[in-house]
Amino acid sequence: MDEFRFIDLQVHNAFMNMAIDEAIMLDIKEGRATPTLRFYRWNPSAVSIGTFQGMTDEVDVDFCDSKGIDYIRRITGGGAVYHDYEGEVTYSIIMPRNHKLTRADILESYRILCGGIIKALEYLDIQGEFKPINDVNVDGKKVSGNAMTRRLGCVLQHGTVLLDLDVNLMFRILKVPQEKISDKMISDVKERVTSIRDVLERDVTIDELKVALENGFADALDIKLVAGDLSEEERATANRLAQEKYSSRDWNFSR
Amino acid sequence: MREASFKIPDGKLVKVKLKVSSGKITELKILGDFFLHPEEVIMKIEEELVGAQHDLVLLQTIIDEVLNNEEATLIGASSSDIAKTIIMAWDSK
Repeated sequence: MDEFRFIDLQVHNAFMNMAIDEAIMLDIKEGRATPTLRFYRWNPSAVSIGTFQGMTDEVDVDFCDSKGIDYIRRITGGGAVYHDYEGEVTYSIIMPRNHKLTRADILESYRILCGGIIKALEYLDIQGEFKPINDVNVDGKKVSGNAMTRRLGCVLQHGTVLLDLDVNLMFRILKVPQEKISDKMISDVKERVTSIRDVLERDVTIDELKVALENGFADALDIKLVAGDLSEEERATANRLAQEKYSSRDWNFSR
Repeated sequence: MREASFKIPDGKLVKVKLKVSSGKITELKILGDFFLHPEEVIMKIEEELVGAQHDLVLLQTIIDEVLNNEEATLIGASSSDIAKTIIMAWDSK
């Protein structure tokens, strides 16, 4: 059984969270780090946008500034995601490109890695299904969004599993012309997006979701999770990337 | 800047912002929630489209050539979707 380093739930700000992903990729590329699964939360809460999206096209940055919500560009494609500190768990899985869990076919790779989330949902008594390209749905509604990149000799997939959902706040953060936000749009979103607490109609805790995800990934991917942490080197690289790249206007407003 | 968005049915959103002068693209950005591997190829596509004329087939050919040369893969949007959005932005206002 393949071993993965497992970095259990940590809390960082947006810049550090995205910098840690890249630092791990760089270390794997250099042959220093092993394949890694990490869980994390975002404090302050933050919105991340896909690498091809325009920051001011997608995000009401003035509103975010007034609420202390960070905003950041990811290195992965896909859409804008609001990472509420209380409302979700994010994971990243990073491995060398030649790892046996990777596939040349990108959709197939999503399907395999999203299997970890579907298994985690099963442990919470929820039936989820992979919804190509990059979502996991429950009863036709999205509960998890995921995004992958292949660079630095690695495959990285990160994604979020929604525990709770505040549609009104989401509409303030994401740039939808306020006058267009009707009750209809809010109910439409509720038809398309759901959360674990909504599905189970009880107060599922972050910890409960985290444990389900840990078991879900281990079992679905048939990997052994070995508790670990960032190396000193990764930490230093992450600190540098957070400062020089991920918190910079050049990066975040490059589109 | 002229601009247009195209939501691909059952797919992602492509947004194009461009400037045109004397019937040619002088500046162009392709935005959206699609995927492209490797991601850096987006800049190459944008560069190659500068100077192009208002011709759907030609625009798509330019994008396809870059994708082929760079061995890049678009997911959730096609070269034809992007070309179509460029024309939509061009024809706006």
